[in-house]
Amino acid sequence: MTALTVRCLVLACGNTVRGDDGVGPWLAQWAAERFEREPAVRVLASHQWTPDVAEDLAQAESAIFIDCAIDSDPGAVRVLPVAPASSVEALATHHVGAPELLALARDFYGAHPAQALLLTVGAGSTTFGETFSLAVTGALPAACRLLEDTILRLAGHPARR
Amino acid sequence: MSQTITIDPVTRLEGHGKVTIQLNSKGEVEDAHFHVTQVRGFEKFSEGRPFYEMPGLMARICGICPVSHLVASAKACEAIMSVRIPHTAAQLRRMLNLAQMVQSHALSFFHLSSPDLLLGMDADPATRHIFGVAAARPELGRAGIGLRRFGQHIIELLGRKRIHSGWVIPGGVTEPLSSAHRDEILAMIPEAYANLKLALTAYKQIASNFQQEIEVFANFPSHYLGLINEDESIEFTDGALRFIDPQGEIVEDDITANHFSEVFGEAAESYSYTKFVYYKPLGYPQGCYRVGPLARLNIVKQMGTPLADKELAEFKQIAEGPVESSFHYHHARLIEALYGIEKIERILADPLILDTHVRASAGVNRLEGAGQIEAPRGTLVHNYKVDENGKIVWANLVVATGHNNRAMDRGVLQASKAYVKDGKFTEGALNRVEAVVRTFDPCLSCSTHAFGQMPLVLSLVSSNGEVLDRLVR
Repeated sequence: MTALTVRCLVLACGNTVRGDDGVGPWLAQWAAERFEREPAVRVLASHQWTPDVAEDLAQAESAIFIDCAIDSDPGAVRVLPVAPASSVEALATHHVGAPELLALARDFYGAHPAQALLLTVGAGSTTFGETFSLAVTGALPAACRLLEDTILRLAGHPARR
Repeated sequence: MSQTITIDPVTRLEGHGKVTIQLNSKGEVEDAHFHVTQVRGFEKFSEGRPFYEMPGLMARICGICPVSHLVASAKACEAIMSVRIPHTAAQLRRMLNLAQMVQSHALSFFHLSSPDLLLGMDADPATRHIFGVAAARPELGRAGIGLRRFGQHIIELLGRKRIHSGWVIPGGVTEPLSSAHRDEILAMIPEAYANLKLALTAYKQIASNFQQEIEVFANFPSHYLGLINEDESIEFTDGALRFIDPQGEIVEDDITANHFSEVFGEAAESYSYTKFVYYKPLGYPQGCYRVGPLARLNIVKQMGTPLADKELAEFKQIAEGPVESSFHYHHARLIEALYGIEKIERILADPLILDTHVRASAGVNRLEGAGQIEAPRGTLVHNYKVDENGKIVWANLVVATGHNNRAMDRGVLQASKAYVKDGKFTEGALNRVEAVVRTFDPCLSCSTHAFGQMPLVLSLVSSNGEVLDRLVR
């Protein structure tokens, strides 16, 4: 299957029944609705990132990965640049990180997004449940604003005022 | 002084397991076991739920083959309802099950096993993964991703979700197929054929490099079990089970789901949470057997589609009777995937495939029901008992890995004897023992995975607990 080239590919991962780990899919759903009429933006959310999305990445001009972070303060929202992995010593087949996915796109398809970013939200709790911790709940407005501005910029639109 | 080698966890499997290899005082392999180390409890905690919730609950068992549990569960529920589902619903479910088989076989072959097959069993483990495949044979990596996507996208088009779809329900499916989705699936088929042809060609080119592995990868006579149609063609969703002996002769035929538990029993061993299924007349463990792609191809006389039939004829040239080495599961998997593509194309040509009558309804008409299908890894049976209000009072699932459990044990032992010498092991030997298990593509408990990178530690331990040797990756 050949996907259309998109200006900005949004790739989120997380488990929606493990508390704050579900923040990635939640933000992806928000982005999908916000950019529903924008063909330049494509949103994909999944439980885990697998090698299969390498083809989607290869056809995207830019990408923003969304995940929760267990090494950040609860509720802390960050956007960091991410580059293709230069070497991989061990690779799980059920979950692949953003740098590895970019490298797979490069190695399998000869292309990867010119610009790739990783948006993370610090997790407060990843215990069983479909609700977010107070810290992450409080961070959602800021995360949405940052995500919106980032997508607009990557998709070639002026940032939201 | 006896010693034990432990491979924990075994990598590139669906779920987590470990292998222990017991050495005697001479350093020779005396025994070996494959352990499934998790307990899931789905059968127990489904008790008390309304039977019509079961397909949705059971699908959550697995993220790799949720469709198998979904369909087997729905069939068990329909036995309780005593309904026959509409023709179109049956065809759509068949297509769903085949799509899952294609994507699962692609995952097994390309993602899990191709690093061994393409790069070699002794390749540096630091590069023996999909990145290594990307470097060595990028076109095959792309083919694998393409075939996975083919199956997953069909599942998504039919069920609206790639995993854990609620589209299959007791009585049929919730929605018919649209003409737009039919056309979208049809448009994907040429590329799927091309990807599959690439994989089959590559496999045939490299298989001869693995003669030694073919000899010792669970290469022994056994019985085989699988679904088959009346015309002796392969079947994944309907039909009845056939059980054959090591010579290929039929031992028992037309085994329906409702009679499964009369014919097959389940044994337990202290070292594994997975049950050991056996044919009752032969007892345990003599009545253990194999299921899955190798078993299915050994049982059938034809695939029922032209391209796959041509491949089956070639496959059956490997041996006069049943093909015995589990290494050939890889080959069988590719032939089945080819069949899946052909059959999906054929189903889409059914003039009634867009019919909107896709659901039958009924209440509780029997207090017990069972359903059986072929999951990618082998035969799957769901058996439920309900009270008069339709609440589950007992459930039993017989999964492919349980059918294959004893054969995997024997295979691990056979390979260990071949590759672990004088109480020493090499990384390549370790990988071969793991690779035997991988040929079966067991699904242990796919929903639970380690966080981050899975370590692999192989320890050689003396009878007094002293670690004599250790290998870590």
